[in-house]
Amino acid sequence: MARKASPARLVIALSVAALLAVFLLYTSIAGGGNPSIAPSELAGRTGTVQLAGLVVGPVTGDAHAGGLRFRLRDIGGESATRIPVRYTGSVPDLFKAGRHIVLDGRLRNGTFVAEPGSMITKCPSKYAPKRSGDSA
Amino acid sequence: MTEAALIFAALLAIACVVVVALPFLKEPEPESDSLDEFDEGERRRLELLESRDRSLAALKELEFDHRTGTISDDDYRTLVGPLRREVASALQALERAASVQPPSDDGEGRPPAGRS
Amino acid sequence: MPELGRAALVVTLGLSTYALVAGAAAAYLGRRRLALSAQNALVAAFFSTLVASGVLLSALLRHDFSFTYVARTTSAALPTGYTISAFWGGQKRTLLLWLLVLTGFGALAVRLNRGWARDLIVWVVPVFGAVAVFFSFLVVAVASPFAVQPAPADGAGMTPSLQNPYMLAHPPLLYLGYVGLTVPFAFAIAALLSGRTDERWLIATRRWTLVAWTALGIGQLLGAHWAYVEVGWGGYYAWDPVENAALMPWLAATAFLHSVMIQEKRGMLRVWNVLLVMLAFSLSLFGTFLTRSGVVNSIHSFTQSSIGPWFLAFIALTVAVSLALLFRRLPQLRSPTRLESPVSREAAFLYNNLLLLALCLTILWGVVYPLLSEAVRGEAVVLGRSYFDFFLRVFGLPLLLLMGIGPLIAWRKASLRSLVTTFRWPTAVALATGVVLLLLGAGSSVPGLVTYTFAAFVAATIVMEFARGTRARKALGAATWPGAFHSLISRNRRRYGGYVVHAAIVLLAIGIAGSSAFDTVAEAKLRPGESMDVGKYTLAYRSLDERQVENATEIRATLGVSRGDRDLGTLEAGKNAYTIEQQVSNEVGIRSDRLTGEDLFVIAEQIDPDGAVYFRVFVKPLVNLIWIAGLVFVLGSAIALWPDAREQRRLVARAREVGVPATR
Repeated sequence: MARKASPARLVIALSVAALLAVFLLYTSIAGGGNPSIAPSELAGRTGTVQLAGLVVGPVTGDAHAGGLRFRLRDIGGESATRIPVRYTGSVPDLFKAGRHIVLDGRLRNGTFVAEPGSMITKCPSKYAPKRSGDSA
Repeated sequence: MTEAALIFAALLAIACVVVVALPFLKEPEPESDSLDEFDEGERRRLELLESRDRSLAALKELEFDHRTGTISDDDYRTLVGPLRREVASALQALERAASVQPPSDDGEGRPPAGRS
Repeated sequence: MPELGRAALVVTLGLSTYALVAGAAAAYLGRRRLALSAQNALVAAFFSTLVASGVLLSALLRHDFSFTYVARTTSAALPTGYTISAFWGGQKRTLLLWLLVLTGFGALAVRLNRGWARDLIVWVVPVFGAVAVFFSFLVVAVASPFAVQPAPADGAGMTPSLQNPYMLAHPPLLYLGYVGLTVPFAFAIAALLSGRTDERWLIATRRWTLVAWTALGIGQLLGAHWAYVEVGWGGYYAWDPVENAALMPWLAATAFLHSVMIQEKRGMLRVWNVLLVMLAFSLSLFGTFLTRSGVVNSIHSFTQSSIGPWFLAFIALTVAVSLALLFRRLPQLRSPTRLESPVSREAAFLYNNLLLLALCLTILWGVVYPLLSEAVRGEAVVLGRSYFDFFLRVFGLPLLLLMGIGPLIAWRKASLRSLVTTFRWPTAVALATGVVLLLLGAGSSVPGLVTYTFAAFVAATIVMEFARGTRARKALGAATWPGAFHSLISRNRRRYGGYVVHAAIVLLAIGIAGSSAFDTVAEAKLRPGESMDVGKYTLAYRSLDERQVENATEIRATLGVSRGDRDLGTLEAGKNAYTIEQQVSNEVGIRSDRLTGEDLFVIAEQIDPDGAVYFRVFVKPLVNLIWIAGLVFVLGSAIALWPDAREQRRLVARAREVGVPATR
């Protein structure tokens, strides 16, 4: 049998190229993700970020009417920054003062206004962090 | 509690050592300690058998696909020839190997089957 | 008592080291008794690990809180079933379970194959020994389950949401899957080490791979179901790193299962298969590492974890050694056959592999990206669910379509005319379904509509295959149609079991599309007596009740459900407040419609002191197909796995021809 050039290599090369193209297209359109930062790094940032920190009481307000208000500080370290947060939407069960939480949003007039339903609590002894918000 | 635990642990360790040493204890002076691997002839035969079975299975699958209508008559005609030739050559290779070294009598006095 | 456990684990470590060193020496030098001795060491390692596990289990059942672990994960009031499940519920324990299953599988795999694959087995033993050394080292020196402390009066209790039947079964199944993938990996490495580069290692491990893959799949579905009913945010999959940790090895294993068929039938893709099994095994190690080391939160918590660095080092070592071996044997791995046409079953399987791998790698990228960006730029950038959803559609939808095309294309080369004839009917069915659904309003979500259309295509091809096969068997002489159907399946178990599994995937796709692309959500704050509308349903908030159970206070809001003018009964949703654990958990109310598979999903988000409740309600069409898909999946795997008497006889006959015992 005459040895023909195998189309396998061509197929694989084209497929890899196609996949890379899809990947690059996506990241250029959707623009990647949100930076995840601590409250002490928030000053001066204007874009949407993911803020990760510890909840500081008192916790006031209603997340479904007017907004839940509390403050967020760094998880470790000695920073004295306390960022006021206003949150609307679903609140995970584990939420309380002293919990490690994560939420998306942006800084507006000194208050971090969170995107509705974006709060996730991180609990170390559980299988997966509890979350609320959009359905899968 | 601690003493019982230590005794049990010691027993466990001893049992494991015995299990591990078992082959040496059962055969302190074996006639051959070499690994019971396939020799060249056996290995070749096994490979040929596997290749024969693979070609036979492919032929059977082609027939079945043709019968169910997955493969059209034209495609079947194109594909069945080479497959049949493959099976034939596999059978021929097996016969050649068999004539070179008969499988059931090794000629060296080793038992033909039942090795572990 | 803990001393016994610790001692037993040290014995396991010793035995594993012996299995590694003596096994390697025996294989290299060709010493029979030493090889047998190393095999025995592997079996003995299983028993000493069993002793250690027994010690821990008895401590759990006795509520012996002097064991730090028992105190941290259980309490005296915890029901017995969940107390037992604490064995695999916490970090340190799961490594013991890994070790137990690993030594068990190793001993079993070696014993079953020692007859016909003996040239492989001599090398399989040291590979298993190496993995066992790693895990036993971890449980002996780094994260021991047998740490002791002055016993407190009561334990800390188990996180309430883990007290759920699905959480009883989810981790063991996942571990069967992760550890199960060690078997084909060990045989692949053994094949490279021994120079036996043909299909033997694949055939020896075929059933192991299938069992591991099935366990991993079912484990994930159970986890998803748990998330749906217990965590209760309204979804079942959040693209969380812990969830992805199990999905990635499953995708790699799916690719492996398919490409293995190509190597068996055509001898192609030998290098590819070795790489795939290495990837699957590395991903299952990586998955265990992700769930247990805390690295998901950030790099900083990773470096604080005790086992994290060890895992990464072991994964790196495994990858390096495997690649080196592969490179060394590369010339011998050249396949005798080539891909003849881009339109053939081999090519379809290749595209399937590429798509599965692409999906797996994009998920992997999404998981490690925050860690990499933090290491490189000092700032962790998190990729949201839109990233994962996008690539799931881009790679998943073509995969769905391929599922219908692959089984019906001919091997080697398919002519265009035969394609048209074969796919005429399924394409027609798919187009008709698409048009009908479009008219029914499914155009609101394009990916959803496309999913449904493709699913219809694949379903049609599966029905077609079963119908044509049955007809062919009837023509061959089967007495009755049911008889023909039965003999069709029993003579082609792997093929038709595979079709049933494909049917399960079709159901899964339909369920996912329905519940995520076509769902409805509504929120309202209601006082007792008020009602709200969601889709076609009307919910009337009737009353709020509080009751005390064994370890919690249950608060429930009762709602009356109706659709149009039909009364559909009541639904309860609320929260549980656990006394010992000091935690509150969400208890959602779900009403499943038996006819349509639709769920009415009610979350009582916020319960005010005055009795007003803020409700969040979902209507999720077809979501129950996902769970039904799980059952069909198990059925298909069972059919494919079922021992085939005819195949056994053939193997025995073949072995006899060579003069070799045929134990498999």
